[in-house]
This record gives sequence, C-alpha cells and structure tokens, in this order.
Amino acid sequence: MASDGNDPDETLLAGVGRGEPSAVRQLLDRRLPRILALARRLLNDPGEAEDVAQETFLRAWKQARAWTPGQARFDTWLHRVALNLCYDRLRRRREVVTDAPPEQVDAGPAPDAGLIGADLSRRVEAALAALPPRQREAIVLCHHQGLGNIEAAALMAISVEALESLLSRGRRALKAALADLARDGG
Amino acid sequence: MMSLDRFEDLAGTYGGEIARWPEGEREAARALLAAEAARLAPVLAAAAQLDRLLDLAPAQSPDAALLGRLIAAAPRPAAPARLWIAGLGAALGLSAAAFAGVMAGVVIARPAVQAPVAAAEPVVTAVDTSAALQDAIAEPSEL
Repeated sequence: MASDGNDPDETLLAGVGRGEPSAVRQLLDRRLPRILALARRLLNDPGEAEDVAQETFLRAWKQARAWTPGQARFDTWLHRVALNLCYDRLRRRREVVTDAPPEQVDAGPAPDAGLIGADLSRRVEAALAALPPRQREAIVLCHHQGLGNIEAAALMAISVEALESLLSRGRRALKAALADLARDGG
Repeated sequence: MMSLDRFEDLAGTYGGEIARWPEGEREAARALLAAEAARLAPVLAAAAQLDRLLDLAPAQSPDAALLGRLIAAAPRPAAPARLWIAGLGAALGLSAAAFAGVMAGVVIARPAVQAPVAAAEPVVTAVDTSAALQDAIAEPSEL
C-alpha cells in the first residue's frame, strides 16, 4: 500500500532512526495507545495485548533507520504488523487442545438492571468478543481505529464489498446483543 | 441520487456519522438526508446509539513499564566521541601506512643505488617500485 506522501509520522520516524529520544517519546505517545487498543479489542486479553504492542514497536525500531518514505504510511505498517501478531495468537489459541472448554464471557444482560461505568464497558467488550473474529476485526479497524474502508479492506486482504458485509453483520449482531442497553438509552 | 435502501445499508455498515461513510457517497447521503429527514434521521440516530455503545469497549492505556521497555530498546544516537576516536584512528593508521610505505621505498631503493652495473634489470624494477609507492602514498593526502 503506497503512501500518499503525507505520512504524519515520517519526520518523527526519521528522528527515531537518528536515535533522538524526543522523537521516540512522541511517536510512542501518538501510536502506542492505538496499537495497544487494537490488540486489546482483538485479543480481549490485556497481557497478550501488551505483548503484541511491545513486539510491534520493537520491530518498528529495527525498521526506523531503513524506513523508505513514500512506500507505506507508518500507521498502516504498524497496523499490519500488529494484526499479524494478533492472528498468530488467535491461531495458537484455536490450536491449543484443552480438556476444559475456555471460559465464555456472557454477553447477555446482567440480572440486575441499570448497568453503569465498568459494567457497561464489560458488557460491550463481551459482546464484541463474542463476534466471529473477522467481524470483530472489521468493526475494530473501521469503528475504533477509524481506518477508511479501502485501508481496512487492504489490511484484511479482502474486497471493500466483503468488508462491508462483515461490518454490517457484525453491527447487527452487536445491536441484538446489546438491545437492552440501547433501550435504556445507551 | 442515492436510494433510501442504500442510505440505510450505509448506516447499518458504517454507523451514524456520515463523515465516516465512504467519501464518494457522503455528498449524496447528505442530500438525501436533507430531502428525507423525517424518515432517515431516526435511522442515523439508531446507528449512532450503537456507535456510542461501541465506544465503551475498553481500550488500554500503556503502563509505565511498557513505555520504559520500549524507550530503552529504541535506537540510540551515534556517539560523537566514538566517531572522533574512529576518525583519529583512521588518520593515524593512514599516516603509519604512509610512513611504512616511505621506509619500504627507501629500503628497496638503497640496494639499487649500490648494485653493480651488471645487475641492471633489478635496479630499474626497484626504482620503479619505489616511485609507485611514493605515488600511492601521495594520493590519499590529496583527497
């Protein structure tokens, strides 16, 4: 995916390549929370999300000196690396054969009405985690990460039409899972 | 002109903010919304309600330990002192090589001067070699 020549991270990345501490700090401030949030929402595990974010940036540091401007936007590159690391972990999870099935998070309404704060957040997280992985990925990339449809589809290696189908089915499932919250005025 | 169905599909796909819909469809969507506000405003409102719920999915803030590890692993600037020492080392090495070359030329050339006339061929070779060495030594200083 070629950059449009206006990569907002290009200058900072060059600074990182020269070993400038302020550039390192600014780039982390700008991009680490996004990558951490992406991994958290795809993996639904804070520890694994942190591992993925760390590995993503360690790879970025190795690339910084050799980064060729105009090849790809750095943010897109980061997303691609983080997504691949998440895929690896999700694949390993599926391959692990356990005697006991993994604990399922209940996405249904809690017995007591009037969820607030953290409870509400957990309900939404559980509903998101209950989606098929590709639907979850499409929603996280487009809604939470704010990527455009073309960029998200390219990252997922699918067509825009296929992305739209995943988004549409994902949102319908979430709407049904969270219907009680929507009725309460969510 | 965008159809009502397409508008509803887009709201169900991309959510309640037209600004987040595909760029090429935004203008037509806004025009249709203006023309059919009574029917389409509730469609957008319902999609926006799901957007707000989705925004509640927890993110995760980087903790100080993670930041510290990444900062510690980031590329370091090239140390100027080491560069200076390396440059000095190279200069000294070049000088030493030049000196060795001069001495070699002197040592090789000396027998040529003292050699008997009968050994004409080796004399020429030694002198040529000495001159070539002098040229080679002179070259780097011109750079």
